Amino acid sequence: MKLSEKERYLFWLGVANGPGAARSRKLLEAFGDDPKAVFEAAARGDLHEHMKGDVAELMKKRASERYIERCLKRLEELDVSAATIASRAYPELLKEIYDPPVVLYYRGTLYPQLRLPVAMVGTREPSEYGRRAAVELARALAESGVCVVSGLAYGIDRAAAEGALEAKDSAYPTIAVLGSGPDVVYPEANRDVYEKVVARGAVVSEYMPGTEPKAMHFPMRNRIISGLARGVVVVEAGEKSGALITADCALEQGRDAFAVPGRLTDLKSAGTNALIRSGMAKLVQSAADILEEYGIVKRKEEKPGVDTGTLCFEEELVYRLLVPGERSFDELCELSGLSAALLNSTLTSLEFSGIIKQSPGRLFSL
Amino acid sequence: MLSRIASYGLSGLEGFLVRVEVDSGGGIPAFELVGLPDAAVRESKERVHSAIRNSGFAYPQGRVTVNLAPADQRKEGSVYDLPIAVGILAATGQLDEKLTEGFMFLGELALDGGVRPVAGILPMVIGAYNERIASVALSPENAAEASYIDGVRVVPAANLRSLVAMLKGGVPLEVFPPRGWDNARVAYSSDFSDIKGQQGAKRAAEVAVAGGHNLLLVGTPGSGKTMLARSIPSILPELSFAEALEITKIHSVTGALKGKDGMVAERPFRAPHHSASGVSLIGGGPKALPGEISLAHYGVLFLDEFPEFPKDVLEALRQPLEDGFVTIARAAARSTYPADFMLVAAMNPCPCGFFGSRVTPCRCTAQQILRYRNKISGPMLDRIDIHVEMSEVGYADIAGRSTGEKSEVVRARVNAARALQARRYRKEGILFNAQLTNRMTGVYCVLEPEAEALLKKAFSTLKLSARAYTRILKVSRTIADLDGSENILPAHVAEAIQYRSLESKYWGTLR
Repeated sequence: MKLSEKERYLFWLGVANGPGAARSRKLLEAFGDDPKAVFEAAARGDLHEHMKGDVAELMKKRASERYIERCLKRLEELDVSAATIASRAYPELLKEIYDPPVVLYYRGTLYPQLRLPVAMVGTREPSEYGRRAAVELARALAESGVCVVSGLAYGIDRAAAEGALEAKDSAYPTIAVLGSGPDVVYPEANRDVYEKVVARGAVVSEYMPGTEPKAMHFPMRNRIISGLARGVVVVEAGEKSGALITADCALEQGRDAFAVPGRLTDLKSAGTNALIRSGMAKLVQSAADILEEYGIVKRKEEKPGVDTGTLCFEEELVYRLLVPGERSFDELCELSGLSAALLNSTLTSLEFSGIIKQSPGRLFSL
Repeated sequence: MLSRIASYGLSGLEGFLVRVEVDSGGGIPAFELVGLPDAAVRESKERVHSAIRNSGFAYPQGRVTVNLAPADQRKEGSVYDLPIAVGILAATGQLDEKLTEGFMFLGELALDGGVRPVAGILPMVIGAYNERIASVALSPENAAEASYIDGVRVVPAANLRSLVAMLKGGVPLEVFPPRGWDNARVAYSSDFSDIKGQQGAKRAAEVAVAGGHNLLLVGTPGSGKTMLARSIPSILPELSFAEALEITKIHSVTGALKGKDGMVAERPFRAPHHSASGVSLIGGGPKALPGEISLAHYGVLFLDEFPEFPKDVLEALRQPLEDGFVTIARAAARSTYPADFMLVAAMNPCPCGFFGSRVTPCRCTAQQILRYRNKISGPMLDRIDIHVEMSEVGYADIAGRSTGEKSEVVRARVNAARALQARRYRKEGILFNAQLTNRMTGVYCVLEPEAEALLKKAFSTLKLSARAYTRILKVSRTIADLDGSENILPAHVAEAIQYRSLESKYWGTLR
C-alpha cells in the first residue's frame, strides 16, 4: 500500500487513536489539520492538554515509524486495505457527514464516487413478506445500476445483499458495512454472502481488523450505512427497531428516507408504517419509486413475459388463476377443478419454468 | 395326594405350558409355592384359600405344596389362581383329576370364588392350541377374546363352584360359540370424506399409504393435521385375520382387551403425547412390555408436535422404523415385539405456529425457527419419505368446500397399488415401495429419460439434498403404481417432487 505523507499520518492517527472519530477530528483541528504535527506532538508527549493522561501515554508509545510499518504490514497479511479520509478511494458522500471515520478498513474494491448508493435496512427477524420485498427491491435496484448498501446482519440485511447480488449484469451491486473488523464475519452464517460481496463490491468498517462485534458498534455503524448512501430504504422495522435509528441518521445527514409499507396488524411493520404516517419517509412500492427520486426513470416494469402459447392446458389454467395474486394449494385445487395429483405435477413444471414461486404455507404466486 | 393341572405362562408374546403340581398331605398346616413365582403369584395363596372355602369346598388341614413347572421360568400375574385352586381340589379328592384332563385353566380368583379375567388371554389360547389342549376354562369376560381360535373349546366359568359342577358333569358344560373373523369387521369412526378441502394433504396421505411411506404434516394450528392423521387407518387395506391376530396378541399382553369384544379388528391408531418416555414409546419396564410402537403394529403411530418429543426418544424410533420390530432386553426378561407401523408426524412450521400463515403473522425470530426445526435430525427426516404442508381453513372455506371421496374409494385404489407392488416384489421378500433398498431402487425405479431430466432440473432449482433423491424415486414409483403404470412418467416425478420440496424450503436455506 503506497501512502502519501498525509495519508500515512492520518492512518497512524486512525490506528493509534482507535475508531473515535470525534477525538481524532479534535486533534486534527488543534494542529491545523496536519496529521504529521499530531504525530510529532504525540512523540514528544505533548498531547496531555488535548486528552486524558493514559490515552496520551498510549499515543506517545505508538508514535513511531516502526509502529506504522508494523500496522501496514499486518494489514497486508490480513488482506485488508485501508482508506484514509485523504485517500482517493474514500467515498466522497461519507466525507459530508458530521463525523466521518478517519480511516476505513475494507476488503474488496472501494470507489470515491458510487453511481447511486442506496442503503437498505430492516429487522433482523423479517416475515416472509419482508424478506421477499427486500430481495426483490434490492435486485431491481441493482439491476438499474444502484449500489445497495447494507449491514450484512441476519434478516433484511442479508436479504438486501442477496437480492443485489442476484443482479448479474451489475458490476458493483453492493457494499456491506460491518460492526466488527472487516475480516470478522458476524454472524458466521452469512459467510457465503460475505465472500460474494467482497468479490463484487466491498465490505467496509471503521473498526480495525480482528475487532469483535459489540452492541455499541452497531449504532455507530448505522451512521456509516446512511452516510455512504443517497437514501435509506427501511423494509420492515418494529416500533423500536435499530433500523429506525439508521433512518434518523439518514435524515440528520440530509439523506432521503424510504419505507416499505406493511399490514396494519403486522407488528414488524409498525415502525415503517409510522415513518410513512409522519411524512418522514416516502412510501415505496417498487424500485421505480426510489429511482424516480434520483431522476432515473426505469422503463415500465413488466412481468417476465410468459407466452401462454407454450403452456399446456393445465399450466395455462393455473397461470391464469394466479394472475390476480397469491393462492394456496387448496384454493387452486378448488378453483381449477384439477385433481391433487395433476395439480401437483403442474405446479412443479410451472415452478421449474420459473413462472411461479412457492412460499411457506404452500402458497403460490407468479 | 398329588394332582397335575395345565396352565400357561407368557414371556412377551410367546409363552410356555405350565404344569401346576399340587401335593397335599399331613403335617403342620403350611402353604409352599415354588417355581419362580412373582409377588402376584405368591399372593394367590390367600385368594385361593378364601375362594375354596367360600365356594363350599374344604381347604386341606395339612401341608400344601404347589410347584409351577418348569421351575426355572419366571411366572407372573394372577392367572395361576384358578389352576392352583382346581389342583388343590383334585389333590384332596374333592374333584377327580381325570376330569381335568384336556383342560387348561386360566384365571384369577375373587375371594368369593368368582373367576376374573386376566391379560394376555389370546396368546395363551394360541399356546393351548399349539400344545393340543382341547378346552380352556376361563372367565366369561375373557371368552370373546379367546373364541377366535378355531380348534380350542372355550369354557367360560363364572365361579369356581359352577366350574367344578360342569367338570363333574352335574351341569352341562357351557361352551362359548367359536366366532369367524367376519363378525369382527368394524367401521372406522373417522372417514376421509369428513375432511373438507385439504385435497393436497389427502392426496399425499393416499400416496403415503399406497407405498407404505411415512408422512410428515407441517401446518399452522387448526389446519387439520390431527384429523387427517386420524382418518388414515380408514384408507389402509383391510386387516387380514393373521394380522388381526398378531395385533390382538400384542394388545392382549398389555391387558388392554379385558372385557372388550375380543379381537382388535380396526387398524390401530396410537397417538402418544409428546411427554411420553422412551419406555412407554419403545417398550420396556421390568416385565419388558410392548410400547406404543408395538401397539401401533399394522396401524398408524401419530406423533403430534413432533419436535417437542425428547430427542433421545425420537432417535430410539429410528431402528424399529427400519426393522419393523423391536427387541427389548431387561434383566428379568427379553422380548421381541413386532413394530411395523406407519409413522405420521405432525408439526407446526415454527414455535408460534403461524409461519407462512396468511391470517396471523408469525412472531418467531429466524433463530427460534431454525432451532425448532433442527430438533428433527437429518437421519430422522431421512426416514420420512413424504412431507406435506397444510394451510389453515377458514369457516367460509369449510362451508363451501367439496368433501371429496369416501375412504372406501381411496382404499380401493390403495389396494390395487399395493397388489401391484406385492406382485412385483414377490421375489425380493418385501411388500411395498418404502421398503426398497438402494440396490432395488436401481432395479425397479427406472425413470423415463424425460422424467430423469426433470429430476435433474429439480436438484439444481430446488437445491435438493442427495438423500432426497432416492426418496423422490420411491415416491414416484408409488405414484406410478397408483396410476397403474409400470413406467415412471415425468408427471409422476413432478408430483413426487412436491412432496419433497419442503426439505429445501424448511431445512435448507433458512437464515
